[in-house]
Amino acid sequence: MEGMAGQKSHLTWAVHISVALLVALWLFPTVGLLVSSFRTAEQISNSGWWSAFSAQKGQLPAIRISGDERQEDGLYVIDGNLFGTAETTLSAWGTSSREPEAYEPDTEVELKDGWVLGVASSGDFRLSAPQSFEGERLPRVFATATTPPEFTLENYGNVLFGTTAGAGVGQAFLNTLTVSIPATVIPILVAAFAAYALAWMEFPGRALLIAAVVALLVVPLQLALIPLLQLHNTIGIGKGYLGVWLAHTGFGLPLAIYLLRNYMVGLPKDIIENARVDGASDFQIFTKIVLPLSFPALASFAIFQFLWTWNDLLVALVFLGTDDDRLVLTARLVNLMGSRGGQWEILATSAFVSIVVPLVVFFAMQKYLVRGLLAGSVK
Amino acid sequence: MTKRTTPTRAILGSVAALALCAGAAQAQMVFTPGEGGFNWDSLEAFGAEHDLSGQTLSIFGPWRGDDQALVETVLAYFKEATGANVSYASSETYEQQIVIDTEAGSPPNIAILPQPGLIQDLVSKGFVEPLGEETADWLRENYAAGESWVSLGSYEGPDGSEALYAFPYKIDVKSLVFYVPENFEDAGYEVPETMEELKALTEQIAEEGETPWCIGLGSGGATGWPATDWVEDMMLRVQPPEVYDQWVTNEIPFNDPKVIEAIDEFGWFAKNDDFVNGGTGAVATTDFRESPDGLFASPPQCYMHHQASFIPTFFPEGTEMGIDADFFYMPAYEGKDLGQPVLGAGTLAFITKDSDAARAFIEFLKTPIAHEIWMAQSGFLTPYKDADAELYGSPTLKKMGEILLDATTFRFDASDLMPGAVGAGSFWTGMVDYVGGKSAEDVAGAIQKSWDANK
Amino acid sequence: MHPALQAVLTIVIGLGGCIGYFWFSNQLFDKVLFPARGPNIGRNIRRAEMIRPWLFLFPAIFALGLYLAYPVVATFWLSLTDRDQGGAFVGLANYQQMLREAKFWEAIRNNMLWLVVVPAASTAFGLLAAQLTDRISWGNIAKSLIFMPMAISFVGASVIWKLVYDFRPIGQEQIGILNAFWVWLGGEPQTWLTITPWNNFLLMVVLIWIQTGFAMVILGAALRGIPEETVEAAIVDGANPFQIFFKIKVPQIRSTIVVVWTTITLVVLKIFDIVLAMTNGQWQTQVLANYMYDKLFRAFDWGVGSAAAMVIMLLVSPILVWNVINARREMR
Repeated sequence: MEGMAGQKSHLTWAVHISVALLVALWLFPTVGLLVSSFRTAEQISNSGWWSAFSAQKGQLPAIRISGDERQEDGLYVIDGNLFGTAETTLSAWGTSSREPEAYEPDTEVELKDGWVLGVASSGDFRLSAPQSFEGERLPRVFATATTPPEFTLENYGNVLFGTTAGAGVGQAFLNTLTVSIPATVIPILVAAFAAYALAWMEFPGRALLIAAVVALLVVPLQLALIPLLQLHNTIGIGKGYLGVWLAHTGFGLPLAIYLLRNYMVGLPKDIIENARVDGASDFQIFTKIVLPLSFPALASFAIFQFLWTWNDLLVALVFLGTDDDRLVLTARLVNLMGSRGGQWEILATSAFVSIVVPLVVFFAMQKYLVRGLLAGSVK
Repeated sequence: MTKRTTPTRAILGSVAALALCAGAAQAQMVFTPGEGGFNWDSLEAFGAEHDLSGQTLSIFGPWRGDDQALVETVLAYFKEATGANVSYASSETYEQQIVIDTEAGSPPNIAILPQPGLIQDLVSKGFVEPLGEETADWLRENYAAGESWVSLGSYEGPDGSEALYAFPYKIDVKSLVFYVPENFEDAGYEVPETMEELKALTEQIAEEGETPWCIGLGSGGATGWPATDWVEDMMLRVQPPEVYDQWVTNEIPFNDPKVIEAIDEFGWFAKNDDFVNGGTGAVATTDFRESPDGLFASPPQCYMHHQASFIPTFFPEGTEMGIDADFFYMPAYEGKDLGQPVLGAGTLAFITKDSDAARAFIEFLKTPIAHEIWMAQSGFLTPYKDADAELYGSPTLKKMGEILLDATTFRFDASDLMPGAVGAGSFWTGMVDYVGGKSAEDVAGAIQKSWDANK
Repeated sequence: MHPALQAVLTIVIGLGGCIGYFWFSNQLFDKVLFPARGPNIGRNIRRAEMIRPWLFLFPAIFALGLYLAYPVVATFWLSLTDRDQGGAFVGLANYQQMLREAKFWEAIRNNMLWLVVVPAASTAFGLLAAQLTDRISWGNIAKSLIFMPMAISFVGASVIWKLVYDFRPIGQEQIGILNAFWVWLGGEPQTWLTITPWNNFLLMVVLIWIQTGFAMVILGAALRGIPEETVEAAIVDGANPFQIFFKIKVPQIRSTIVVVWTTITLVVLKIFDIVLAMTNGQWQTQVLANYMYDKLFRAFDWGVGSAAAMVIMLLVSPILVWNVINARREMR
């Protein structure tokens, strides 16, 4: 079969362009954040991320002159460079916030008390005075300059290794894995059996149970928190990994059963009937036939559940607690954002750190995901 | 002994550097016992009386990030003196977390919260242990303006009788206006001494085509709270403190003309497009942590910023208080004769799960050293008279401490004292609506309605 | 014990227990209690048939009951009692109070808007993307990229979109792409998230952005499942590509479209993180789940908060009914 695109070449072009447009639209926001995570706070707040790759001309925030003074021909002198990088080119400068572009580069200007300040276009400055600068407040320089594109890994350094609050991201990483893996595997196992029963076994109340599963899909999580934590405390589980796993299992089951049942119902009827005729028990049919056949669906749910438990914040905070050595990755990053909320560079970087693993998992397993979803909903 | 080495500082940003300090603090103490002007005797005496080896103490507080690093430096000394194992935890949503934990029956030993209104809720449900008359007497005697601190920490218990439940520790001064001294010099502005002058300066700056104020109310789920500080500050400047107290307890309704006047005083600044950076429309969406950046922009996007004493934490990296930025007391009206009112906030520690270690921790807060260790670093003010004011970590802190001492009236943040539904709910959202264009009458009426619903 | 070791151990115990339960109980059934041999073979098989489904279902029903159904019942009870947990019975007072609040009606109105726009837009975009990427060489890459937002947490997504909607005053360089684009077109920078009612749509965009990938993958699969003969026949009849798509393909995958629509609707009903992180329901953007969160954790009003939750549950009932009917039809 030829699709609608294959027939006419001008339509093919239209399709390519529309897809490119769609992908760009979907990718744009994420790319913006990715680029921002490699920029300094100053760059982020001074220019859009899309201009990060070109040289920037603009007014830099005030730079205070600093350096060690030395004596030269009876004058006290401080010199140095205003900028950290060599490629920055100064086009105008000033010492007053009211006239930040008062002077050309390579000019010398007299300030108060006989101080003389000169700034070159390279950013080299020389401040001299007849008396010592000891105890004086040195002047600020407002520079209008062209800065080359510059990227930094400092944000990642800060987020990953700046252990602002005790244990680092590494520990949090481990904690998240400890939460995620069992919280992914247990519900799959439980749901697979239930889904098989709901799909292929005859018993009274089946339709009602299926409806109940759908109804439970919408229970708002926030409601369940206190009654369940109360329960955990009463039966002695308290706060800990076991509690989180159980909670994630409970919360993940409806979707798991829903997806898996949909898939299993679509399996060829004759295979199962034949096996029954041959005298296989339901347990054997399930483990020997249905389970292997359902692998794509199981894998697809595994990805969903993994993404969900990895990205979860609320359940982990409530059932695992907020102790430093138990914080999961999302909780640690949110804490970081809490104290640094206005700072995009930290926000962007933490957001990226938190989505790396889900993205890797997704890209690695998307083959199964697509296959599973495909089979699960198409009958 | 500290691990704060210069090369480390230079290589990593200040965040990382602070973090390294925190890492060091956990392992060891930032100030060597016996050195400096600290009251080490108090630590020694405390340690001799309390041996808690093998016991654990869990503390849940509001401080995260850099602040968490600081509180942990203090806890290190408690640990050292008693041998107890201390675990401190916090959360971005700490208000919800503490409610969930207490309701579900797994509270920490000690909880520390900045909202007396929320503590009252917890106390009335019977989740908090009273601290006893002895501690109340101690506060009266040892804290400056002790009686007001006792009343701040006293709540109605489940049986309806009032008692001291929470111990005030660490306070913030809110009536501050931050500015860049050199920008003032460049433009020839003077620091205003009265509210009349402040308003005149605001108008003057606007007339010169510049923007006088940076105001940002954005704070994620708590958006709006910086405006409540403004209104409270203005309330103390147009009405006597008694009216403020009546307002806090809803003896006068929220839509009383006196309250509406205070809201409109705030509106005078915030609802004038020429007075705020980005115009009124930007006020509610600008993040409060990002808002002060305008002071340091070139050319300056604004000249003044009203905020509490903690805000320098959010100034651009490398900003040195006292040189690059400074603050002045938010002045009072000369014509109103209401003295020098100061608005403040603070955190209170209380026992949610009783144990020897929890009691010992409250005793620890009574030692000067528990205050001095934090004072000598940053972001900590205390009314404790025996804590040596010379130890304040910077001239800035000392100056803030002086504002506190010069106050003729000190009042605690009203929104923290009001019931959660109002003080952490409709008051916030109401202020956002107000800045968004609604009238003070409408907004105050809606807030009063939510208060009624809460009764 | 090291947490990693502990984790491995607990995984083994937990999974072992789980597998053990299924294996042993079934062995017990087949070998000891109701062996499919001997004198009572017929009765045994019948009995095993009767009980076995419950053997399979027990862990799931137990977990569902404890972790979801029990909270629902508890919530229903709370919605009838005073604001404190364990407060006095007050009948429908909480519902009455809620119905009087303007914020509640705002939330209902917005939720309805969300329920219409988000599933429709996600499904439409998903269908479009699925159809377009189906036959091109780099279709799989395009699909992956469109699906990527699914892997991003709501918190992360909110950060990403806050940057998109960022606002800087006139005269400063915009760092939010929307404003940059707007200014480039000649407009004045806008504080997008405060402009009612459009801010609602800007929030919806975030969820549409996330959910489109999901819709695309499922619908794409369904499109491939269409028998080729039907399409070929249409081509022979001279139908143009648009006619083929709308008249031949779409009707054939209608049931899948319904599944996708339903699933996204369920997500929308629970949507809360995006609103909380981006506007906290200010500027007329409140939604039910955030309203509930507000009541529960800001106002500590368990009564009204639970009542709001019951309303969310109520909104799902049409889907529920539809599913019961469907399941009955399947049972034949």
